[in-house]
Amino acid sequence: MTAAQAIARFAGTRFVPLALRNLLANKRRLIRSSAGIGFAVLLMLVQLGFERGFFDASLAMVRQLDGDLVIMNASKYRFGSGDPFPHFYLATATDVAGIADVSPLYASWQDFFWRDPAGDKVYVVQAFAFDPDRPVFLLPELKAQSARLKEEDGVIVDRRARPILGMASGTAEIELNGRTVHVVGSFALGPDFMSDGTVMMSQATFARLLPGNRGGAAALPVEFGIVKIRPGEDVSRVQQALVLALPADVRVLTKPQLVAFERDFQADLSSAGPIFWLGTVVGFVVGMLISYQIIYTDLSDQLPQYATLKGMGYETAYLVRVVIEQAALSALAGYVPAWLSCLVVYRMIGAVALLPLHMTLSLTLISLGLTLGMCLLSAILAIRRVIAADPAEIF
Amino acid sequence: MPLQLAWRILADQKGRSALATGGVFVAILLIFVELGFFVAVPQGGMLIYDHLRFDLLVSSSKYVFQSQSWQFPRARLEAAMTVPEVAQASPIYLGGGKWQDVSGGLKLDIAVIGLDPRAGIFAVPDIERQGALLEPSDTVLVDSTTRPLFGSLAAGRVVNIAGRRTTIGGQYKLGTGFLGLGVALASEANFFRMFPGRPPDAVNLGLVMLRPGADPDRAAQALRAVLPADTRVFTRSELVAHEVAYWTIRTATGLIFGSGLVVSFVVGIMVLFQTLATQITRQLPQFATLKAIGYSDRYLEAVVLFEALLIMAVAFLPALVAAFAIYALVRSETLLPLALSVPQLGAVFAITLVMAAASAFLSLGGLRRADPAEIF
Repeated sequence: MTAAQAIARFAGTRFVPLALRNLLANKRRLIRSSAGIGFAVLLMLVQLGFERGFFDASLAMVRQLDGDLVIMNASKYRFGSGDPFPHFYLATATDVAGIADVSPLYASWQDFFWRDPAGDKVYVVQAFAFDPDRPVFLLPELKAQSARLKEEDGVIVDRRARPILGMASGTAEIELNGRTVHVVGSFALGPDFMSDGTVMMSQATFARLLPGNRGGAAALPVEFGIVKIRPGEDVSRVQQALVLALPADVRVLTKPQLVAFERDFQADLSSAGPIFWLGTVVGFVVGMLISYQIIYTDLSDQLPQYATLKGMGYETAYLVRVVIEQAALSALAGYVPAWLSCLVVYRMIGAVALLPLHMTLSLTLISLGLTLGMCLLSAILAIRRVIAADPAEIF
Repeated sequence: MPLQLAWRILADQKGRSALATGGVFVAILLIFVELGFFVAVPQGGMLIYDHLRFDLLVSSSKYVFQSQSWQFPRARLEAAMTVPEVAQASPIYLGGGKWQDVSGGLKLDIAVIGLDPRAGIFAVPDIERQGALLEPSDTVLVDSTTRPLFGSLAAGRVVNIAGRRTTIGGQYKLGTGFLGLGVALASEANFFRMFPGRPPDAVNLGLVMLRPGADPDRAAQALRAVLPADTRVFTRSELVAHEVAYWTIRTATGLIFGSGLVVSFVVGIMVLFQTLATQITRQLPQFATLKAIGYSDRYLEAVVLFEALLIMAVAFLPALVAAFAIYALVRSETLLPLALSVPQLGAVFAITLVMAAASAFLSLGGLRRADPAEIF
C-alpha cells in the first residue's frame, strides 16, 4: 500500500499508522533495507561483543575469587604476574577484628609446564593452589570437587583451555613439571590472552611441583590472601583495620577494587579497546549511509504523495513525524534479525576462539541506541526534501 | 558501450552516486583496517625475528613460539659449525625478570635478551652503534618502546632487574613485539649475572649464518642430519609460517579479525546492492525502453556490472589513503606494526572487485522485471 492509498483510507478512519504502512508497502524494499541496516548492526554488535569478551576473558579469574578482601604485594602491577609475600602475614591478618577467614592462594604463571597427552609438546600453564578444605574460588564445580585435591598429586583442570593442551581429553594421568599427576576433576572457565590453560591443586602438590622449591607448603610465599569478613561487618572498616595491622609492603583491596585494578591495567596497556571501538564507529557510519539511502529514495519516490498531504492541509510537523517514525521502524526491522543472528555468531565464535561472548542487556541497549541513532540521524538529514515539498510544484 | 552508459547513469545522478561511493568507501576502509590487524598481529610476533641476522634458526624440539622457546645444549651450536655451509652460529638467551626502581615501587615484568654484542646479531642501527655499551658489567640497553609504566629510560638510570642493580647504558629503537611490556638487551656475561640460576650451557635460540651462496634449504637438511632430535631447524620461511600460524590460529586474533573481515565484506556488498537496486527500480522505464529498442538482457546486465565496478574503483583510492592514515595512527598509539604489503593491497582490490560483482549479481533480479510491454 502506498502513501496515496493510505490517504484514501484516512477519510474513513481516525488514525492511520502511515509510517508502518509506508514501510510495509514494498516488501522487496523492506527486505533490502532490513538486510542493509541489519548487517551494519551485526557489525557493531560483533565489535562491541569482542571488546566485552576481551575484558571479560582477562577478568574471568579475578571475578571468580571467593573473598571480600584480597591481600597482595604492594609492588604487584597486575593479577597475572608472580610477586608473592611472606606466609606469616596471613597469621597477622587473621587476628584482625571482624575477619572470619584468611586463606592463602598460591599462584604461578611461569613455572608450571603441562605436557600435551596426545603429543610431546610442553606448554606453560597458569597454576593455582589452595587448601582443599577452603577452595578460594567461586567456581561451583571446583568447590564440589576440591576435596579430591587432597589425593597426592591430584589436579583439577580447565576443560575450556586451548584445545592444543588436551586438557579436555579426559586423560587421567598427565605430566606436569616432569611429574605424573592425576586429573581428579575439571571446571569450565576458558583461557585469556596470557595463559592458555589453568591447573588447580592443593598447596602440598604445588610445593612438590614448584621447580627449585625444597621446603613444604608452610614455607611457601603467598600470592594472594583471600579474606572473608564476618556477616554484618563493614567491608571498608575491616579493610582499614587490615591495612593498619599489616606491613606497608602489602596492600589490601576489596574484590571490586581488585577487578578495577586489573581492568585499568588491561585498558591501559592493551590496544583491544580502541581497535573494537573503531569497528563499532565504522558500523555506525555504514549503517547511517545505508539508512540515509533508503529514506532518501523513499522520500523521493513518494514526494507527490507527501505534497498531496500538504496540499490537503497536513502540517509539515506531521509529515516530519511520519518520516521519523518510519526511520525508527526500519531501524527495528534491521535490528531484530541482526540481534538474533548475533546470538548465533557469538556462540560460534565464542566456542572456537574460547572467548566469553554473551549477549547482555547492556549490549542490547547500547546497540539498539546506536541503531536508532543512526537511522534517526539519517532521517533528519533526508527530511529536508519533505519540508521543501511544494504541492503546487509537484504536479 | 555498456561502460559509457554506466558512467552516464552515474554522472546523471551525482548526489546519489556520491552517496553510494561514500558507503562503499567506508566498507573498503573497514576491510583495510580488519585485514591490517589480521596481518599485524602475527607481524608483531615476528618483529624481533625480522630484525635478527640469520639464515637458519636452531631451537629446542619443544619450541612453541618466540616467548616459549625452551632451551637446548649450547654444544649443538658447535656441532652445527661442522656443517661446511655454516659460517657462524650464535646463541641467543631469553629471560624474564622483574624491573623495579631502586627506591621500590611496582615490580614490572621485563624480557631480557642475552647475546654476544660482537656477533652482529641484530640488524638494528641503534644496537650496532651502541654494542660497546653492553660490555661494562651490569649494563643493559632498553627498547625505547618499553611502556611508560617503567619510568625513565634515560642512560645512566640505575634499576633493579631480577634483583640486581643494573645501569641503563642507552636506548634502541626496535619495538617490544610480543615479548612483553618492556625489553632489555644484555651481554652474555651480564645476562648470567642477572639469572645466576640458569645453566650456562642452555641456549634458547641459535642463529646460524651461512656462507655466501649456500642454499638455505639444503643447509637446513645438512644441519638436521648432524643435530640430534632434541633440536629443531627452521629456515626463515619455515619460521615465518610457524609463527604466523601460531598467532593466527592458536590465539583468538585470527578469528576475531577474520570475522570482522567477513562482516565488512558483506556490509560492502549490501551498501552497493542497495544503491544498484534503487537505481534499477527508478530507471526501470529507461531500461525497458532499451530492451524494446532491441538491447539484450546481457547488455543491460553489463551496464549494471559496470556501474558497480565504477563505484568501487572510485571509492578504492580514497579508502586506501584513509587506511594508511589510520595505520599510521594505530602504529603510533599501539605499537602494532600495522602495514600492508603490495600483494596484500592487491588482495584488497581483488576483494572489492568481487564485492562489486556480487552486488551487481544480486541486483540483476530487478532488471528482469524491465518489461517493455508492462512499463507504459
